[in-house]
Formats: sequence, C-alpha cells, structure tokens
Amino acid sequence: MKTPKINWILLTVFGIASLAVFVFSLVNPAFRGNAYAPLREGLLPPPDPIQITIYYGTEKRDWLEQMREDFLQTDPRVNGHPIEIELEGMGSREMVLSVLDGSIEPTVLSPASSLQISLFQDLSTQKFGQAMVNTADQQNCHPLVETPLVLVAWKERGQALWGLNPGGDLWKELWDAATDPQGWASYGHPDWGFFKFGHTSPLKSNSGFMTSILLAYEYHQKSANLSVADIQNPGFQSWFLQLESSITDFGDSTGSYMRDIIAYGPSKYDVVAVYESVAIEQAENAIGRYGELYIYYPPRTLMSDHPYCILDADWVDADQQTAARLFLDYLLSDPAQESAVMDFGFRSVDPDIALDQTGSPFLVLGANGIQIDSLPPEVEVPKGDVLDALLDFWARNVSD
Amino acid sequence: MQKSRLFQFIGLLIAFSLFLSSCSALSNLVTDKVVVTMVYGSEKEDWLVPLIEAFNQANHKVESGAVIEIKAIPMGSIESAREINAGTIQPTVWSPASSIYLPVANAEWRQNHADDLYAGTPNDLVLSPVVIAMWKPMAEALGWPEKALGWSDIGEMAFSEEGWTAYGYPEWGNFKFGHTHPEYSNSGICAVIASTYAGAGKQRDLTAADLANQQAIDFLAAVEKSVIHYGSSTGFFASRMFERGPSYLSAAVMYENLVVYQENERLTGNSNQMPVVAIYPKEGTFWSNHPYIVLNASWVTDEQREAAKLFEDYLLDKPQQLLAIEYGFRPADPSIPLTTPLDENHGVDPLQPQTVLEVPDADVIRGIEALWYEVKKPVDLVLVVDASGSMGGEKINAVRSSLVQFTDLLGDRDRLEILTFNYEIHELTPLTELGDKRADVQRRVSGIIEEGDTRLYDAVLKAYQDLNEFGDPDHIRAIVVLSDGQDTASGNALDAVLAAIGSHSESGDATKIFSIAYGTDANEDVLKNIAEITGGQEYFGEPDTIQEIYKAIATFF
Repeated sequence: MKTPKINWILLTVFGIASLAVFVFSLVNPAFRGNAYAPLREGLLPPPDPIQITIYYGTEKRDWLEQMREDFLQTDPRVNGHPIEIELEGMGSREMVLSVLDGSIEPTVLSPASSLQISLFQDLSTQKFGQAMVNTADQQNCHPLVETPLVLVAWKERGQALWGLNPGGDLWKELWDAATDPQGWASYGHPDWGFFKFGHTSPLKSNSGFMTSILLAYEYHQKSANLSVADIQNPGFQSWFLQLESSITDFGDSTGSYMRDIIAYGPSKYDVVAVYESVAIEQAENAIGRYGELYIYYPPRTLMSDHPYCILDADWVDADQQTAARLFLDYLLSDPAQESAVMDFGFRSVDPDIALDQTGSPFLVLGANGIQIDSLPPEVEVPKGDVLDALLDFWARNVSD
Repeated sequence: MQKSRLFQFIGLLIAFSLFLSSCSALSNLVTDKVVVTMVYGSEKEDWLVPLIEAFNQANHKVESGAVIEIKAIPMGSIESAREINAGTIQPTVWSPASSIYLPVANAEWRQNHADDLYAGTPNDLVLSPVVIAMWKPMAEALGWPEKALGWSDIGEMAFSEEGWTAYGYPEWGNFKFGHTHPEYSNSGICAVIASTYAGAGKQRDLTAADLANQQAIDFLAAVEKSVIHYGSSTGFFASRMFERGPSYLSAAVMYENLVVYQENERLTGNSNQMPVVAIYPKEGTFWSNHPYIVLNASWVTDEQREAAKLFEDYLLDKPQQLLAIEYGFRPADPSIPLTTPLDENHGVDPLQPQTVLEVPDADVIRGIEALWYEVKKPVDLVLVVDASGSMGGEKINAVRSSLVQFTDLLGDRDRLEILTFNYEIHELTPLTELGDKRADVQRRVSGIIEEGDTRLYDAVLKAYQDLNEFGDPDHIRAIVVLSDGQDTASGNALDAVLAAIGSHSESGDATKIFSIAYGTDANEDVLKNIAEITGGQEYFGEPDTIQEIYKAIATFF
C-alpha cells in the first residue's frame, strides 16, 4: 500500500500562515483570540489591559463596586484588550478641584451631582481654554441614579425634636435646637448633651454644598432666583453662621460621613443632612448598632443625580474612552439600575423601574419616613456666581 | 530534512519560552522588600499584632513587585506625636489611640513644615469610648445604674475627705482614682480635658477663659488629688487595677475594650476579682477611634505610601473588622452589629455613650496641659542608688547622666530624697522640694562615686521609713531603687524588709517601689519581689537602656 505523500508546499503555506497569525496576534491583541489557545496562553504575554480610573462620590461606593465586579465578569474588551477599572472614592467637589490642580488624572468623574460638573465645565474652560466635560453629550456624560437631599435622625431623637410629621418649620426647629445653649435639656433629655447637627463640608462634598444652598433658600423663603445679594445679606449670614458654628465635625464625603454616623451613633450625631440613598443603605446597619433611623424631607430639596462624565483630557486615550463608555452602558442597563433601587436605595434614572416593587427598601422603610411619590419640590440651581459667593463665604467664615 | 528543521524550530521555541518563564520565576525569588513602620497606641496590640503577622506571611506586594513588610512599634499616643514632631521617630504610619490630639500635633508640625502632617480625614480602624472603669459594687454604692454617674461624681468623691465612708463603706478607705499621664497617653489627656469641662460646667466651647475660672481649677486639682499615680500606658493601668483589685484602685479612666477584656477573663475563670463595669460619663466623653494616618513626611516614599494603603485596606476588610469585636472593640465598619461580648454580661452597654464632649482647639488643649502641671499631684520620691564597687566604669557613668535627666522631668513642687548605698548609706539630699535645689542635686548625682559592699535591703528600708515619716500622704509616694548585685552587707534580712513594706502595700495610695535590676549580676528575683509587693513595676536595665528606664518611671509621676 502506498502511503499518501505529504504535500510539502501546502504544509509550508499552512505553517507560514499559522506563524503569521501567531506573530500578528503578538503585535495586535485584537487578533489574539484567533491564535491556537494552548500555544497562545503558554507563550504569549497577556495583552495589556486598558486601565480606567473613576473618581466617584463615596455614597455610591457599594453599588459601583458591585457593578464593577458584575461588569468585569462579562469579560469586556476593547480591541482585544481586557478592561481594568480603578475606583477611587472622593468628595465630589474635592475631585473637581483635584483635577484642576493636576493632582489626579482620572478617566471618569462621577460626583454626586451635576452641580459639580457644571462648575467643572466652567472652571476647566477658564483654566485650559476648553471644557474637559461636555454635559450636552449624553454618550459621554449621563446621570446614573438619583436621590434627594434629606434630614436623617436617630429615630428617638428625631421624634423628640419633630415628632413623626413635622410641618414646614423643619429647618427653623432644627436651628432652634442646634443653637440652644441648653441643648437637649430644653427638650427634656439632659442626658443627650448638646444638640448635634451635621453636614459635610461644602468645599469638599456635594451634600454639604446642597445643604448650604437649601439653607439660603430657606432663610429667604423662596425656591428660585437666589442672588449674590441674598448670600451677602447680613441677616442670612448671621443666621447661617450660628447654625454652622454648632457643628463640630464636617465630613469630607457623604458616604464616609454616613458610615461614621452609624459607627459612632447618636453620641456624636443627632441629625444630619445627607442623601436619601445613604440613609436607606445604612438603615439596617443602624439597627445593628444603635437603633432605627428616621428620614425627614425638607420643604424644598435638591436632587443628587450622580453624573458619569468621561473626561476630554490629554491623559485619556480613545481606548480608555471606549472602555469607560462600555461601563457607562452597563451602569445604565436594566440589571444595574434594578440593583441600584433594590439593593442600594437609589432612584433609577429609568422611569420604568418602579420603587414600590415587592421587597423594595422604599416600601420596607415606609415606617422610617421614606416617601415614594410625594417628594418635596426642587429649588432652582443657583447661577455660578451665587454658588461661588456661598462657597467663598463658607470658606472664609466657617472652614474646618 | 525540512521536517527535522521544523521540529528544531519548535523545540527552540519551547526552550526559549521555558527560559523566559524560569527567568520570571527566579525574579520572584529575589524580590525587593518595602518596609512600612507603624507606630501605634498599645491598646489595640492584641488585635493588631496577629494581623500584622498574617499580613507579612501572605507576602503582599506593591505594584513594582516588592514584598510588603509591616513593622509595628507600640507607643503612648501623645508621646509619639511629640517624637514624630522632633523627628526622633520616622514611621510611615501613625495610629494613635484617638484623633483628639491630632490638631495639636499638626499645629506643631506646621511650625517647621509647609504642608500638613497628614492629608484629608484619616480612616478609623476600630472604636472604643473612653470610660471610667469602676468595680461594680462601688458603682452600685454610688447609685449606679439607676443614677447616671459622671466626671462631676468623680470630682465630688475627690473633694470629700471621707472617701467611701460617706457612702456607708468605711472598709473601702479612700477613693482611689487613676488616669495615665496626659503628656504621654491619650486616655490621660482625655481624662484631664473631661475633668476641665466638668469643672467649667460645660460640654462644648471650652475656651482659654474657662481655664482661668477658679472653680474649674479647683475641680481639676481635687480630681488629681485622688489619683494614686500616673503612667504612660492605659493598658498598664488596666492590668494593675484588675490584678490588684479594689483596694488598689477604686476607678480608672480607660477604654471600654479593656473592661470587656477583664470581664471576659473573669467569666472564663482567669480572674477572681469582683465584676467591673464601664461608666459612661453622663456629661459626655470622647471616642478612642484609632485613626490610620499615613504621614505626609519627607521620609515616606511613594512605595511605602502604596504599601501602607494596602495594609489599611486589609485592616478595614470585614474579616479583620469582625475580629476586632472579639477584643472588645466596636468595629469601624458600620455593617458589623455590636454583639457579644459587647454586652451587660461583660460590664458594658453598647447603647452608650449618649453624648460626647466637643474636642477643644489646639491652643485650649495646650492650655489644659499647662494647667494640669500646676495642679497635678506632686510626688514625694526617694531615689535609692547602688554605689558599690561593682558599679564602676560605664555603669556608674550611665547612671549619673540618666539621673540628671530624670530630675529634669520632675516638677518644682515634687520632693526628692536621694540615698546612695555601698557598705554604708549616704543621704545625698533630704526629702524637700526640688524647685529650690535642682542645680545642687544635679551636681551631686554627677559626683556619685562607687566603692565597697552592697547594703541593698537596709537602704530600701530606710527609704521606706523616711517616706512614712516625712512623706505627705496627699502626695504620690514612691521609691526608685537601682542595684547591680547581691546584698552583701545589710543588717536587715530580706524577709524582714518585705514584711515591713508589704504590711501597708495593699492600698493604691501606699508607697510604690520601682526597681531596676542593673546588669547581668543583679539579683532580679529580689528586686522583682520588692516592686511587686507594692504594686510598682520592675525593670531590667543595662548602661545603654538605663536612661529610657528612668524616663519610663518618670511617667508615673
């Protein structure tokens, strides 16, 4: 029997073709998947990952970390390169200022509110001649989730001050208690010491910034057209400063601040101004530490909308932008939005995802003051010069 | 032919890849190390040290591939602040017992540096409130738990000349109180600030003007009068109190976790003392929060910073946080509930404290420290120094210079007697206030000459008798004895000396003896006996460590 003759020409062509694919896959990871797997994994160095760095407001830490894990499990790739996501928690305003002074070079900024992105857009234009973010470009800059600013109290203490259904005098009653030299003794609880209200630093963190804006609106009893003159009004300044000087500890970042509130308990904080989402997130932890929380909605509020904005900066290349966009798409997907509502207490940016579905924390915490529908109206976001005047006043007179 | 070339080519390729992988394996064997030194408040030692060992064994690496090694050194929180500012210690990480002194430390740092000592707000590792630990029957005699107790009650007890008699327990004697030295230890400065608040009748906004308020000054002085002695370590205070019982100390300022630890010992049969409870002062208290601070100092490299961050993440990770609760700490991670042993069974109430005191400004804290020096309990101290022939050379030289520095650490109102002994006992200076004679005393100790035998027992007995006869019972009374050898010439036997000392030593306000076995020939057992019987402390010293030992002893006064 004649053995079939090897076609050496064919074999050589096949060999050269295989080698070409192999070598090309070395040069270009996009073709890596075509190389013979055992040879590829044994001989080739792994393709360089595309690294993106996201600076985010810490109040969404747990959600983002969970979503990063879920997203990376889908083995997302850009031109064959795997994606690596570094998450760095930081106060919302602090991250904006840190990009401007060059101390951080993130791919994405995700502060707690578009308020900070608007400021960033203005300030980066002033500094570099062009904006590093474009809020109009929905593909690169999009809100992730929403949550209103609320007042959170340890339930027993909130009730001692306000009862369960305070009226429109919420801020006034808070102001009276916080500035009362007798503190809780005036409310029949001398053992609770002085009254401890708190919010984060408006210079570093968005919720502190929002609180200051709401206080200015409250003093002037309006919901729009806050002016520089309103901030410079001596009556407002004195009223505002009295409240601020009663605060012993301004946090740098809302998420960390709320964690401290639960860790230390009512000995250190009676009532704080934070987001509804962090109150929901920590409500169960609170019971394990010191008891129930109660959520109070101020008569007018501001929404924190967690924009996710990919930077237009020389340290962000096209692959990184693509990787960052893939993660943004994931965060806006139904499972991620569902998880934000059900597991982390945010309100979805997708109106189809309901808050009152079975097992939703919004339902569970109804007895702790959470309201699903009847949110207070939002105040108008003041103009840049008004915001600057407010921050400047705080920095000069309160600053921690 | 062609076929064999192909095989050769493939063989070469495999050999090359094997070579590459063995290179990378080799490079793993000879990796660099990045050492992170951490100076920490000793209260968290039991939790921290096993975690450091586990972390080091796991060979964690920084991005460059260097393996991280954590080296930790326990040190009093206020003392470490001072040493970092002086540059005498240069750690990467500083984790004092609380944040209360950070503004003072930073203000001092800013005098010589353009930047702050640290950036941002440091994370807390574990939490524990500052409490007054008191024997349960004593707390009950004061009306606890129905009546909330606080700093004002401590002051009232201290003001009263009657002690426990006023509460129907004459057999308990005086009210004996303890807190650590505020210049060295966090719980000490917390106790002094809280007492000043109580004296001023405030819970916040303590100002420099309050420190001039006579009522506040008198209150602090009264509290200090009931203190049996100070010390550099809160842990030491706790263990002395729990070893020696209620005759030694009625109550002491410490951390909640130390009460939990003791109650756990008692409940598991390792301590037969009466129960102890944590009093959460009704006026408010402070939190010991163990901040983790990566220093913003020129001696910290970027790689150390990176390594320090990885270690911080490890300590804050859930398994390590869960362990903290077993040591009586409240985890910084709020998702961990406060469960057993943080319960009534272990002498604590996890729902307390109900309120805190406001941390004063750096200037006010410094003012309180100065005020404390003015009103602190003075010491009547007898230094007993071996001047026998065997002390010659380096030994006596080191002692002379250490004693000069030691006398610098005492206050003007402190009274000092110095005895040297060889075949006879010499009184270098009698028990009088140091303020008027400091220079003379320092001249005399610089001229101590060694010769002859060792009359150790007689010298200790004379010191003890002098304190009994001339010492002021309202002062701390203590003897510091140093010896390098066996007793060779005493008229009194050891048993007789121990019997004389031991008969009064039960009480916390009795004379305390601190002994130093100096060099390898010293009779350690005897010196240990002499110290232990009084509730003092024994040390083992060499010429190169003697200065540190005298410094450590000074923190008791």
